[in-house]
Amino acid sequence: MRVDRRWLGLLGAIALVVAVWNLALFTVPQWMQAMVVQLGEPVRVVREPGLYWKIPFIQQVIYFDRRLLDYDAASKDILTIDKQQLSVDNYSRWRIADPLQFYRTVRDERGAQSRLDDIVYSDLRETLGRHTLRDIVSDKRDQLMADVTARSAEKAKVYGIEVVDVRIKRADLPEKNEQTVFGRMRSERERQAKKFRAEGDEEARKIRSESDKQVQILLADATQQAEVIRGEGDANATRIFADAYGRDPDFYAFQRTLEAYRSALTTGTTVILSPKSEFFRFLERAESGGEPK
Amino acid sequence: MLMPDRWDGSPRHSPQDSLGQLVDLSERLRQRLGEARGGGWRVSPWWFAGALLVLWALSGIYIVAPDQRGVVLRFGKVVGETDPGPHYHLPWPIEQVLRPSVTAIRKEEIGFRTIEVGPPARYQEVDAEALMLTGDENIVKLEFIVQYKVRADSTGTSDFLFNVRDADGAVRAAAEAGMREVIGRTAIDQVLTEGKEQVQLEAQKLLQAILDRYGAGIEIVTVKLQDVDPPDQVSDAFKDVISAQQDKERLINEARGYANDVVPRARGQAAQTVNEAEAYRETKVREATGTAQRFTKQQEEYAKAKDVTRRRLYLETMESILPGANKIVMDDLAGKQAVPYLPLEAVVPRREAPASAPAGGGR
Repeated sequence: MRVDRRWLGLLGAIALVVAVWNLALFTVPQWMQAMVVQLGEPVRVVREPGLYWKIPFIQQVIYFDRRLLDYDAASKDILTIDKQQLSVDNYSRWRIADPLQFYRTVRDERGAQSRLDDIVYSDLRETLGRHTLRDIVSDKRDQLMADVTARSAEKAKVYGIEVVDVRIKRADLPEKNEQTVFGRMRSERERQAKKFRAEGDEEARKIRSESDKQVQILLADATQQAEVIRGEGDANATRIFADAYGRDPDFYAFQRTLEAYRSALTTGTTVILSPKSEFFRFLERAESGGEPK
Repeated sequence: MLMPDRWDGSPRHSPQDSLGQLVDLSERLRQRLGEARGGGWRVSPWWFAGALLVLWALSGIYIVAPDQRGVVLRFGKVVGETDPGPHYHLPWPIEQVLRPSVTAIRKEEIGFRTIEVGPPARYQEVDAEALMLTGDENIVKLEFIVQYKVRADSTGTSDFLFNVRDADGAVRAAAEAGMREVIGRTAIDQVLTEGKEQVQLEAQKLLQAILDRYGAGIEIVTVKLQDVDPPDQVSDAFKDVISAQQDKERLINEARGYANDVVPRARGQAAQTVNEAEAYRETKVREATGTAQRFTKQQEEYAKAKDVTRRRLYLETMESILPGANKIVMDDLAGKQAVPYLPLEAVVPRREAPASAPAGGGR
């Protein structure tokens, strides 16, 4: 039975280690913090991770998350100062800053959530209620959120809660106001469309009339130039004729008259001729060759 | 409750169970050996305890996969981080290792969900997330994705694991809030057109700032706008603006086409008019020159023999005229008296009025 006792010793040692591990020791992981409660009364808060002692059976360990926690509220209707209704969906990031205080006031995360709901919502409603929709949506969003965060953080302190960030996730208009916005957007776009079409018409007319103008000017210029050129032609011709005819105006008159006869006295013209005319000079007195003049 | 909820590796082992199994196993082994050899061979408990210790020590060997990073916890406290490869840690319950995947790029979809990765991929829009108020109090429908990963610096992995519970949810919520804030500062036309790049950059910066404030150990790789549209209720009005813009372009182009058509034609016509005039001028001048030269030549010859030529020309003319004319030959005196009495019928057999022009003779 010597062997059995040795085995028993070994098993006993193992059992002892396990018992001590489970009953007198506890570890706090990196992402946790803990509180030692003795007979229901908190006695010690452990903030740092590591291995710690406790008195078996009398002391219990309650763990709290040390990480940043989420609180996502249901969306709520808030009235802005310019009487716009806004459906606000916000979230908060918070952590358990003081486990003791936390345990005493809200006990656990569920309790904290409902307390946060009250605090953040009232601050949010109050702060946003003092601003216009425009401020909330665009101009001062940052500032307002910082305000709400600061105010909520102040109030949440008594619960051992540190509110790190309150942020509006969504801020939407209720159905009815949405329709108004859509109506405005629509009319705005219609205005733009009209403007574009009118501008197109404007440009097109400008271009067309400009080109029509150019055409007319081009043609008028050409006509002007052409008239001048024709005038030059006529002038030159006149000069040439005058130069030539001027050398013997008498012959010109004679020749030109004859030419005019040819064209004026066409076939069928009745001509009354005097026997004394040049043409009949030889008809009566063939022998007397008098000059016609 | 002790394990972080995104802990990648499972607990190394459950000690009570395995210890119990080992004891149980060795007991049975001992019994069987004892029976076989008639109780001649016995296992020493010290030897057994030693073997157990060795096994226990060996359980500290672990491998970090290429996409992972190991975080070693000693009694829950971080004592170091390890790179991919084989490593050793003191065995459970002294040390533990968390091995989150850190190189993987994670993704959050906002405003839509991928139902089927495809191909063909199918998406479903989530209007509640997608509709946002813009700076000029319009509403825009915006779908975007956020890609992020665990920050790659020395504390990134620890921050990611230990600072924020549900980091993915934090990214998602912060992304929604951040994007709405950016859109809330931007006019709708900016968002819909050239401002997209700017929106993405600003949202990424803001989101990174928010997450840094949480100490989330997350690096935003990119914020990418997928679809940015006007809401369905007004999309036809927006489309009409586009088509109005195109109408404008079209009208202008048509007008330009008209200009391109008529102006060159007019230039051609103008050139034609000028050319015709020039042709007229040149013709006139040449004709005149010709006629003048003809006259000059004739005159030169005429000057040499004036009388003869004069008479010849006269007679030739008469000769060519008279054959076709109705001729009445009258003495001058008779003519003076008779003319008033000439029966018009006789004198004018045709319709032409009596031509008395050459009555005076060849003058």
